[in-house]
Amino acid sequence: MDRRSFIRKGFIYSALAGLYSSTIGRIPLLAGQRSATQSTGNYDLVAVRGGEPVAMYRRAMQEMGGIQRFVRRGQRVVIKPNIGWDVPPERAANTNPDLIGAIVKDCLDAGASRVFVFDNTCDNWQRCYQNSGIEEAVRAAGGQIVPGNLERYYHEVEIPGARRLKTAKVHEQILEADVLINVPVLKHHGSTTVTVAMKNLMGVVWDRRYWHRNDLHQCIADFCLYRKPDLNIVDAYLVLTQNGPRGTSTADLALRKSLLVSTDIVAIDAASTLIFGTQPENIGHIKIASEMNIGQMNLDRLNIKRVAI
Amino acid sequence: MNLRHLKKIRIAVSLAIFILLLIFFLGIESGVLNPVSNFLLRLQLIPSILRFFALFFTVSGLGFLLVLGLTFLFGRVYCSSICPMGTLQDIIIALARPFRKKRNRKFTYSGSQKNILRYSILGATILLWFFGSLFLVNLLDPYSNFGKISVSFFQPAFIFLNNKLAFFLERFHIYSVAPLGVKTLPLYVMLVSATIFLTIGIMSVWRGRLFCNTICPAGAMLSLVAHKQYYKITFNDSACTLCGKCERVCKAECLSSRTKVIDHSRCVSCFNCFTACSNDGLYYSHQKTIPAVAAANTPAPSPGKRQFLLTMAGGALSIPLLKNASLAQGHSKPGLVPTGTASPVTPPGAISYEHFTNNCIACYLCVGACPKNVIVPSFFDYGLNGFMQPKLDYHKSFCNFDCVKCTEVCPTGAITKQTPEEKQKIQIGVARFMQESCIVTIDRTDCGACSEHCPTKAVHMVEWEGLRLPEVTPDLCVGCGACEYACPTEPYKAIYVESNLVHLEARPIEESDGPQQQVLDDFPF
Repeated sequence: MDRRSFIRKGFIYSALAGLYSSTIGRIPLLAGQRSATQSTGNYDLVAVRGGEPVAMYRRAMQEMGGIQRFVRRGQRVVIKPNIGWDVPPERAANTNPDLIGAIVKDCLDAGASRVFVFDNTCDNWQRCYQNSGIEEAVRAAGGQIVPGNLERYYHEVEIPGARRLKTAKVHEQILEADVLINVPVLKHHGSTTVTVAMKNLMGVVWDRRYWHRNDLHQCIADFCLYRKPDLNIVDAYLVLTQNGPRGTSTADLALRKSLLVSTDIVAIDAASTLIFGTQPENIGHIKIASEMNIGQMNLDRLNIKRVAI
Repeated sequence: MNLRHLKKIRIAVSLAIFILLLIFFLGIESGVLNPVSNFLLRLQLIPSILRFFALFFTVSGLGFLLVLGLTFLFGRVYCSSICPMGTLQDIIIALARPFRKKRNRKFTYSGSQKNILRYSILGATILLWFFGSLFLVNLLDPYSNFGKISVSFFQPAFIFLNNKLAFFLERFHIYSVAPLGVKTLPLYVMLVSATIFLTIGIMSVWRGRLFCNTICPAGAMLSLVAHKQYYKITFNDSACTLCGKCERVCKAECLSSRTKVIDHSRCVSCFNCFTACSNDGLYYSHQKTIPAVAAANTPAPSPGKRQFLLTMAGGALSIPLLKNASLAQGHSKPGLVPTGTASPVTPPGAISYEHFTNNCIACYLCVGACPKNVIVPSFFDYGLNGFMQPKLDYHKSFCNFDCVKCTEVCPTGAITKQTPEEKQKIQIGVARFMQESCIVTIDRTDCGACSEHCPTKAVHMVEWEGLRLPEVTPDLCVGCGACEYACPTEPYKAIYVESNLVHLEARPIEESDGPQQQVLDDFPF
């Protein structure tokens, strides 16, 4: 082979190789890394629409790389739904019970040693647990629904970097959790306009009045400095668009058939706010949390996977 | 049947009834037993009579006729079996027995001199009731006192043990026992309950059923009937050896073995005498067969009735005293306190301040049953008339919108039974917003805790200087107090519920066509 033919062949081969790797090669290479049903989960946020809550959840987790990415064998998982109100599931003031059941089961299947579910409810806790359907769903899935009705369960913690909420009494389940999965339901709220993932964490502390008394939006953002959930899943299937957060009848609801999953609590709140029908900049705690670098409220900067089923 | 077994049967029946009522007062939910306990409530004499009139001659208030019938047939079996305070006294006597000197353990016949006191008290109680005050009933009725004692002492003890068990099991990740919120009763209520408990306890240890035969208005009422009872405990002259065993066990101290006299108006039909007698010297018989000797020894016919009528007049003298005092106490004046209702908020189903105070005997069954612990005993909030009657305290908690627990348990009809749908429309008070002390206007930050908790959205948020400020739509408000409870301002709440003296109907929440179909066509991001 003379020098000229070597260069020519080399050029052709390298061109072919480049062509291959940039076109045909990319698909099988990546496909080889993936399991048949799961993506790598490199997304900052996965949004699914058009299905039933559990179906949307399954699809979203598939895109996120499966629950195994978040729950490892032997870990203690705490799921925090919204169970604040003594209303039936069709009123959507609490997180969808079937969705909670599916998440509990997933965590156990992924090898979680125990899965706990609780909320510091507003209405009578036993009635909330029961009438929301969540108690039954958790039990059926093999998880444990635990009480949050007494102050003794809450222990004082310091929140470094907080502006107003420097200490809070937090439920012991949160203190002991290896994995925290936050599963709010997207709702209207009289004073914060929307309540999603960040506001849902008000249900893991004892003294909510302190928050209300000391700049509610700032306190909501501050608490994220203590413990950001490992995963946030927003139930936006039935969305309470007025008279929130408790609602007065099913007339307050809009069927949006959506579900969001993200590890970024600010991003998921921002996206949910858009689904609710207003701008994230209008929501005090989302804006503050973004300023405090708790998460990203600018969705343009995120890698979002959008799925319609 | 051998009459000696009667005592065993009495003990079994009284303990069963006592435990069933106690379960009810401890607030234990038991689907099977609660209807039974409910029936037993209907048999409580004074609550039943009150219920009969409170609910306009309702059939469910006829339990007292059954009790009167039983008394006419067998004597005051009510006092030894149905009345929980009676059984509680028996338990106290039994528990104290080992600690007493042997010679102090026996009872002796105490003559029949206590009639004036008990009939005076009965007379005064009835007269006060006619004049619209249950003061004496609240203070003296045995069922009501049993309730006060249960809720003040037994329930806290039960909750303490229950929670100890719950916390122990939680260590092993067993969550089947629900921890209960501790009910903190006001100190004065505890003191009154303790005083009643101690007084009755000491009386019973000292002289058996002394309380029942000197003070208890229910006992006095039944003793009027017991005079004429059909089956009576009677001495059998041929078999009696005058050994005196029967007298020593007679806790009503109504039996004289020497003179063979039995004061049936005081006998509580405990049947201890039958078991004590080793010789069949006593028998239970229809009055006509009373041997001549015994008949001659019985007290003059119904002195009780005469004394009763006499003392009714005596009791009347005390009326003006109490009535004036109650008027002076009465309703406090509105507008003198920064916030807080002028008169106490009565439970849903109580119809009105008047209906409630006229019929509640402060047994605290509702206090014990309330899952939100919002119903608490008052002291003089209702004046002397409504001494100790319960009220809704929105600083402690609020009334759960869908809960009707208190309306289901009330034995006297002071709180009438409501379905959840009916209850959701009852306006027991109206929220008043005090803008000048609200977080939003003072600190200029969003809050909305009141509106958040409002089940009807009578309290809703409106735009105000870039923030959201609460506003009240009064006709939607049911007065549940969720807003007042949730309000974080101190020391006075910026929103509070002003009690309705007569409960009104709130505007119902509009019927819904279900959710709007607004499925997303695309994501808005």
